[in-house]
Amino acid sequence: MLMRPFLDIQLGERIVTLMAALVLVLQIAVVAQRWIVTHIRIFAIQSFLLAMIAATIAWFNHAPHIYVAAGLTLVVKVILVPILFERLVVRMEIHEEIEPIINVPLSVVISGGLTLVGYVVAESFYKPDEPGLGHNALAVAISLFLIGFFTMINRRKALTQVLALLSLENGLFLAAISLTYGMPLIVELGVLFDVLVAAMVLGILIYRIRETFESMDVSRLRRLRG
Amino acid sequence: MIERLMENAVQLFLLLALSPLVTGVIRTLKARLQTRRGPGIFQPYRDLLKLFRKGMVIPETSSWIFAATPWVVFFSTILAGLMIPMVAAVAPFGLLGGALAVIYLLGLGRFFLALSGLDTGSSFGGLGSSREMTISALAEPAMMMAIFTVAIGAGSTGLTEISGAAIGQTWRFLAPAQMFAFAALAVVLIAETGRIPVDNPATHLELTMIHEAMILEYSGPYLALVEWAASIKQLVLMTLLINCFWPFGLQASWFGFGALIGIGWLFAKLLLLCCAIVLLETVNAKMRLFRVPELLAVAFILGSLALVSTFLF
Repeated sequence: MLMRPFLDIQLGERIVTLMAALVLVLQIAVVAQRWIVTHIRIFAIQSFLLAMIAATIAWFNHAPHIYVAAGLTLVVKVILVPILFERLVVRMEIHEEIEPIINVPLSVVISGGLTLVGYVVAESFYKPDEPGLGHNALAVAISLFLIGFFTMINRRKALTQVLALLSLENGLFLAAISLTYGMPLIVELGVLFDVLVAAMVLGILIYRIRETFESMDVSRLRRLRG
Repeated sequence: MIERLMENAVQLFLLLALSPLVTGVIRTLKARLQTRRGPGIFQPYRDLLKLFRKGMVIPETSSWIFAATPWVVFFSTILAGLMIPMVAAVAPFGLLGGALAVIYLLGLGRFFLALSGLDTGSSFGGLGSSREMTISALAEPAMMMAIFTVAIGAGSTGLTEISGAAIGQTWRFLAPAQMFAFAALAVVLIAETGRIPVDNPATHLELTMIHEAMILEYSGPYLALVEWAASIKQLVLMTLLINCFWPFGLQASWFGFGALIGIGWLFAKLLLLCCAIVLLETVNAKMRLFRVPELLAVAFILGSLALVSTFLF
């Protein structure tokens, strides 16, 4: 891919690093969060920051096609998916708190440990001689991915698991733009469309689970009932 | 020599005179935000004056600890306050000790407060003491991690060196490590000063109170000393946060006109921080006591990440 060096690439790197750090803070906040509506809003803010990171990378690397990815992220993950989920929450009248399997302080400590793993793994991808944005962003991306996995395992309710899956996908998106300065547009389009469809399908599925089992607790799914 | 004395005198005056004002400003801003009129920003001064004029009731069951505690708390807090840089990067008592000394001087005051809570033998005091110790045991590691992060950047745990290193690097607080450490220290500030998600500073009549439960038996001048010390501690922690992370306008030395600019910036930054605290207190509800460790665990992890990321970034 053609990459023109840009004068202020260091400024760009600092902005990207800052926003990536914010994304990580939000991810840890998600682990400690007990209210599902707040969880959805944090996800929206996180996605917004990701779109901003993508836009920054596009600006400093002169890669206009990343703008499209940023715009699509903005539309799909900041606006559509959160609205979809909030409507789901309203329709299903969820009032109770999220109950993680492992208690919150320990979950937070585990997330901290996973972040360290993320940093150690990202270290091996680091090439000091190659100028570019987003080396730190890769570490954050791997951490997001791992913490997303952990959150999925750690939650009982289907809706929160889907939210964790989406933040995991955010990690993938961040890894993709920070490593390759954007996948081909068609791939981005496919992934985002996938996310939207997945969110809708899973939303309907969750609703059906809830209707059938009178609970979203997936540990009850072992009882087969028609 | 004279200059050193002047520095001490100015900082001592600022600590003593400014701390009730900070409390008053926070209360008034909070009242205004909740569309109440509020008592005015000078009310804490009037309260202190009134308390100093009143007589005291000392419980019969209490020992010397009850009488010693207000003095220990007051003077250890003042000493800690003199060890931090306020107006200029040079702390007047900086040679006596660095960040660790400040943390443990505040810890000494807290220890005596907890003892005096137990000393009177009232059940409320004991409750308050045990809660305070639980929370501080969790808040202290987070604070340590955050302080160590800035200390590594400066190469020293001396607060003079830490603030000195911050001068001129105005945008340093945007670095991820600094930001994590700032967030950790901000949570610790909330917990240590007994602000709303952790403790409610506005009540004496709540089963969930922490700080107020410990000092429930104090009255008159002793209560004034304890309350004043609490205000000073709040100012000390706020100044620590401000001067480690927002080094705008911090002067390198105390001489002449620079000191006035330094004081002006200090006021501006304190006001900004007060606004942030007020906003946080107004939009949040008090947490259940068993949820507080979760908040502090987040602070601890942020502090740890800050420390680790100084090595990695």
